[in-house]
Amino acid sequence: MKRALASLQGRTTLLVVSVTSAVWIGASAATWLDTRHELDELLDAHLAQAASFLAVRQGGEDEELEHGRGANLHPYAPRVAFQVFQGPDLRSRSIDAPSTPFVALDHEDGEFATVTVQGTPWRVFSAPGSDHEVRVVVAEQVAARNDIALAMLRSTLWPMLVAIPLLAAATAFAIGRGLRPMKRLGQALAARSPATLEPIPVQHAPAEVEPVIESLNELFGRIRGLLDSERRFTADAAHELRTPIAAIRAQAQAALTVADAVARRHALRSTVEGCDRAARLIDQLLLLARLESGIAPQFCQVDLADVARQVLAEATPEALVKRQRLGIEAQGQYPVKGSADLLRALTRNLVDNAIRYSPKGANVAVTLVREHGGTVLTVEDNGPGLPQAERTRLGDRFFRGAGVQATGSGLGWSIARRIAELHRLEIAVDHSPELGGLRVRLAFPDA
Amino acid sequence: MRILLAEDDRLLGDGIQAGLRALGFQVDWVRDGFAVERELRARSHAAVVLDLGLPHRDGLEVLAMLRSEGNAVPALVLTARDAIGQRVRGLDSGADDYVVKPVDLHELAARLRALIRRAHGQPRDRLNVQDVSLDPAARQVEQAGRSVATSAREFDLLHALMLNAGRVLSREQLEQHLYSWGQEIESNAIEVHVHHLRRKLGARLIQTVRGVGYVMPLGAVTS
Repeated sequence: MKRALASLQGRTTLLVVSVTSAVWIGASAATWLDTRHELDELLDAHLAQAASFLAVRQGGEDEELEHGRGANLHPYAPRVAFQVFQGPDLRSRSIDAPSTPFVALDHEDGEFATVTVQGTPWRVFSAPGSDHEVRVVVAEQVAARNDIALAMLRSTLWPMLVAIPLLAAATAFAIGRGLRPMKRLGQALAARSPATLEPIPVQHAPAEVEPVIESLNELFGRIRGLLDSERRFTADAAHELRTPIAAIRAQAQAALTVADAVARRHALRSTVEGCDRAARLIDQLLLLARLESGIAPQFCQVDLADVARQVLAEATPEALVKRQRLGIEAQGQYPVKGSADLLRALTRNLVDNAIRYSPKGANVAVTLVREHGGTVLTVEDNGPGLPQAERTRLGDRFFRGAGVQATGSGLGWSIARRIAELHRLEIAVDHSPELGGLRVRLAFPDA
Repeated sequence: MRILLAEDDRLLGDGIQAGLRALGFQVDWVRDGFAVERELRARSHAAVVLDLGLPHRDGLEVLAMLRSEGNAVPALVLTARDAIGQRVRGLDSGADDYVVKPVDLHELAARLRALIRRAHGQPRDRLNVQDVSLDPAARQVEQAGRSVATSAREFDLLHALMLNAGRVLSREQLEQHLYSWGQEIESNAIEVHVHHLRRKLGARLIQTVRGVGYVMPLGAVTS
């Protein structure tokens, strides 16, 4: 039953049959009441007629009527009885009439009444006799009337009892036919291999199923897009890891092959450097994968000045190696809404790029200012800058500027752009008017 | 053998240069497409190891252009792009060999030797001219079954002459084979090395063509 209810066909069949049965039962009840009413009128008329016959025949004879047996010829006959009164005395009665009067003396003639005599309900009618003080009372058992009405109802009920199961079967069949497109869709979906993301054809689909198919196709499209970008990312990542690994291998093999001790030390140092670079690339790839997974990061109140100071502290060793000067210009706190980790990664990438792509002895400056109610973070350097054409390509995955000798992964900008996007920051790259190199401006809306 | 290495990655280029040098190659290293084009136009290298993702000009683009100009320098493409379609495109653009990173240095050296040998029409790696036999991989020289010790420069000089046996090579051409950039070339270096080789292998093996250069005749020279 539960299974049947879980299916549309089962549910709809049950509903249709229930509603039909309810309507049918209601109609039967109405028929019953109507039949009962008509029957009462008809039989009451007969009762009145019988009473008037009796009254006429009551020619003053004083006899105990014994003709009751003759009236028993009809099956309903015993249920009809009469009493004849003269004054308060019961002068005669039919054989099956009770000896107690049906009605009280003051019962008005010509009125119908339903009374219970010795536990049996009767329909009673009284009429004045032709003689003085004679009164004829005729009565019919109410049960007799009920039996007739029931018999009539039965004749309408039993076809109904046969018809309901037939109706259920026919309804189930018809609904099954009607739902066939749904079944076909279900089968088509079940038969698809999990890897198939081709859209399901919409033509020939019924109007009710069409929106379902369209939504499914839309979903398939979205999943396909996600999978494609995932695949592209994996391919790109594998491709980009080849060069650092090739470098590690070449350096390690050179260390094994060269005879000169100085050259061997150089090769070994380069091997270590290559490992660091590969590890950094993997970190960047993981961060980018996390950023592109579509999971929204947790935002809270972050002090940008704090973030910038931490980043500069972390980047200092690298800058020292290149004898570059790092500086920060900030007054007080700069609260913004965002993820502290991601904002740190973003700033770190900008500062790292400035350090990496600026020559020895260069200046790298981080500035924080409040502007139009928001906060602007600027990272600028006095390095070679970037031509306009290459600025627009920043953020393409694995893009590195032409003629770049530094060993960047080309991912830093992708990461920076993605984090900026997640924080709804405006990121602008241009020429630094103060230092002469590249300037990156991050505009934070009011926190 | 002097080869050109075109690779924009600092660590990888440095490693390959050091490794190939240790395996007996003279290696000049360039890092962008313009430099590759310039160097290959000069035709001073026996082969080129070409990375495809070079700044300024793509490696394949440079190669296709040089091939259209009739430059037949053996080219080994070393790249991270490993899809079949890319390999096919690489070979069709004029690459003689296609190696996907990372590569074993010994394999890279062997492939370069094979490319250079084939470019000179030699069917086997071991070169035989007259009674002298030279093994480029083991860097060994034998004469009439007897091992002959040579210095690195003498070996390279003999290798160049044997690869081009029967052809006259000028002193400048020989210098280009022997020295990479930044190496000091003494004015009479080639003469000195030829002199040493003649002393070790016999005076008639390498002949001087006055005003032109040197040649190693294919057959034994009588007279």
